Amino acid sequence: MKISFLIHNAYAIGGTVATTFNLAGALAERHDVEIVSVLRNRERPSLTPHPRVRLRALVDLRHEKDHPLHGRPAKVFPAAEYRHGQYSELTDRRIGAYLEAIDADVVVGTRPGLNVHLALQAPDRVIRVGQEHLTLDNHHAGLRTVLRRAYRRLDLITTVTQADAESYRRKMRLPGVRVEALPNSVPDPTLPAADGSGRIVIAAGRLVPVKRYDLIIDAFARVVAEHPDWQLRIYGRGEEKGRLRTRIETLGLWNNVFLMGAATPMEAEWVKGSIGVSASDFEPFGMTIVEAMRCGLPVVSTDCPYGPGEIIKDGEDGRLVPAGDTAAFGAALLGLVRDDGRRRRMGGAALGNARRFAPAPVVARAEALFREAVEARSGGGRGAPAHSGLAHTLRTGGHAARDLARAAATSALRTVRKGRR
Amino acid sequence: MSTESAVDPRTDCTADADGRITFRLRLPSPTRARLLLARRHAKGRPEQESRTLTLEPAGSDGEVRAVLEPAPPLAEGRWDVYLLRGPDAERERLRPGLRDVRALVDGGLRDRPSPLAVRVPYATTDGFLAVRAWLRTAHPEASRVDIADGTMTVHARLHGAVLSEGAAGVLRLRGDKDTVRGFPVRRAGGGFSFTVAFGELVAEDGGARVWGVFLRPAADAPLIRVCRLLDDLADRKGVFVYPRVTVGGSVLRPHYTVDNDLAVEVTAGG
Repeated sequence: MKISFLIHNAYAIGGTVATTFNLAGALAERHDVEIVSVLRNRERPSLTPHPRVRLRALVDLRHEKDHPLHGRPAKVFPAAEYRHGQYSELTDRRIGAYLEAIDADVVVGTRPGLNVHLALQAPDRVIRVGQEHLTLDNHHAGLRTVLRRAYRRLDLITTVTQADAESYRRKMRLPGVRVEALPNSVPDPTLPAADGSGRIVIAAGRLVPVKRYDLIIDAFARVVAEHPDWQLRIYGRGEEKGRLRTRIETLGLWNNVFLMGAATPMEAEWVKGSIGVSASDFEPFGMTIVEAMRCGLPVVSTDCPYGPGEIIKDGEDGRLVPAGDTAAFGAALLGLVRDDGRRRRMGGAALGNARRFAPAPVVARAEALFREAVEARSGGGRGAPAHSGLAHTLRTGGHAARDLARAAATSALRTVRKGRR
Repeated sequence: MSTESAVDPRTDCTADADGRITFRLRLPSPTRARLLLARRHAKGRPEQESRTLTLEPAGSDGEVRAVLEPAPPLAEGRWDVYLLRGPDAERERLRPGLRDVRALVDGGLRDRPSPLAVRVPYATTDGFLAVRAWLRTAHPEASRVDIADGTMTVHARLHGAVLSEGAAGVLRLRGDKDTVRGFPVRRAGGGFSFTVAFGELVAEDGGARVWGVFLRPAADAPLIRVCRLLDDLADRKGVFVYPRVTVGGSVLRPHYTVDNDLAVEVTAGG
């Protein structure tokens, strides 16, 4: 298959960029894969894509920041989308032209506004996949209304957790659109796993309020009081840095808690630690939890919606504590700091259990979903998916009826577009 | 920006606790390639030293390896890492891949013989692979810095020498070798500590100044710089950040310099 990923900015650091690079890289072993970045702000991407994945940008902000069309608000990219301010008539046009000329079998949008572009502008010959990297409930009502209407024209929606897939099925009423969970994958580590002997607790991510690094620091104060030879290292950059620094100073933790700045790749950092932590109030997936586990670290995490609870088995390969509960977080952390044997056992379990997020099983799942969507579109006669049951037959029927409606809608849209020129 | 082209894929390396560094990269044609380490000098001055290592094939997928053995030690400084593809090839500066330096994390916990040689592979600010090296006959390694009640207590451990009678923590004004303040050393466990009264570091006119932190291991012995070198961080200036303290209208802040030397900065309050 030829697969094209459309992403906001492949040159920045972020969970969506990392997971898209991972999936694209794994698919590129057997398929023709490109990543199309709407925006570009630097020469090299912060993360390194797989050498077989082609990367290109539609709008290069280094030269086109002052393009007159970039000053006009986007019309296709929905105004209710969080990133609308970074989109413009220029991005509308470039994305539209890219989709009009697309020769891929499958096009994958990686955020709501881009999924709307796919729904409105991608031609019928390509399978349109909308990826949800956040959660439906996290979008505000205005955006949900836009998505409910537009997403009817997608072939497949993938969420990163089962819980969110269920939420889409229950709340969105999208006849004929398949909704399935496709977890993020984390590449197979190349370094030997951590052996549990380290005395470093590690957290990583953007320094933003929702990640609750303040809670981690508060909880770690309890660890330091009992085990002054332990360190907490927080990797990442962001708006919270100053406040976190103040907290570290107020609690007198400057000899034990360190703001490390951004590190890519994180693998060589995780293996220095023996416990991973994540205290988010909201975590659609929990990429860093899986990264830490794949390096052999048990992870202490809040049980926030939705990711951590679908990754960690409490008491077996990590700990889950109620969101926002500093005392419970500190107690869980201390339980692992005090007990070397338990920490090592859980680290070993984490290493094994996190293999389900390796590229191989995740990419096999993505491949199957994409192929089934292609086959469903082409009539479903040959090579219907093995697990196809009544529900799927109904869906396929929905596709056929919808295709007719969409063909009419698309040709009407094209006519309108031509008229505008 | 350097005119030397960068090589991809990236170069992984593993550091051992005893100073050995193993470099690994993949080359399309590994024959007769070598790795070059060149010690960087101040702008405009020529490099004086370099070290060439043979890249040996390892495995079947084009991976080559070079090992920098612990002996002889590298001279103190920043060593840039280059690839030489053939005998007459231009050198190509290498970019870092995974730097497995976990063996260095607890380097301050064990005694080191003299001379003390430290090597930490790191990524330069412009994204290239380099090795930071220190070479000291004796070295006081700082650990905790406690700050309370207008004082700073520096905890440290002396490697490569022994503390004698009359040992002192000494702060010396940068740019003026004759202005020093001494503070008595207390021994504790395998280490020592001394407490600096910030009030003694403030200038009468309230002006800005920087004090270097030293150890005088014995009465009349020369000063040795107090630094933190024995872990996995080549540059800790932005990571080990201590609080500011206001004393007599001046603001004092202990910090590490770009060379990982402990220092105290004094600025006018406001």
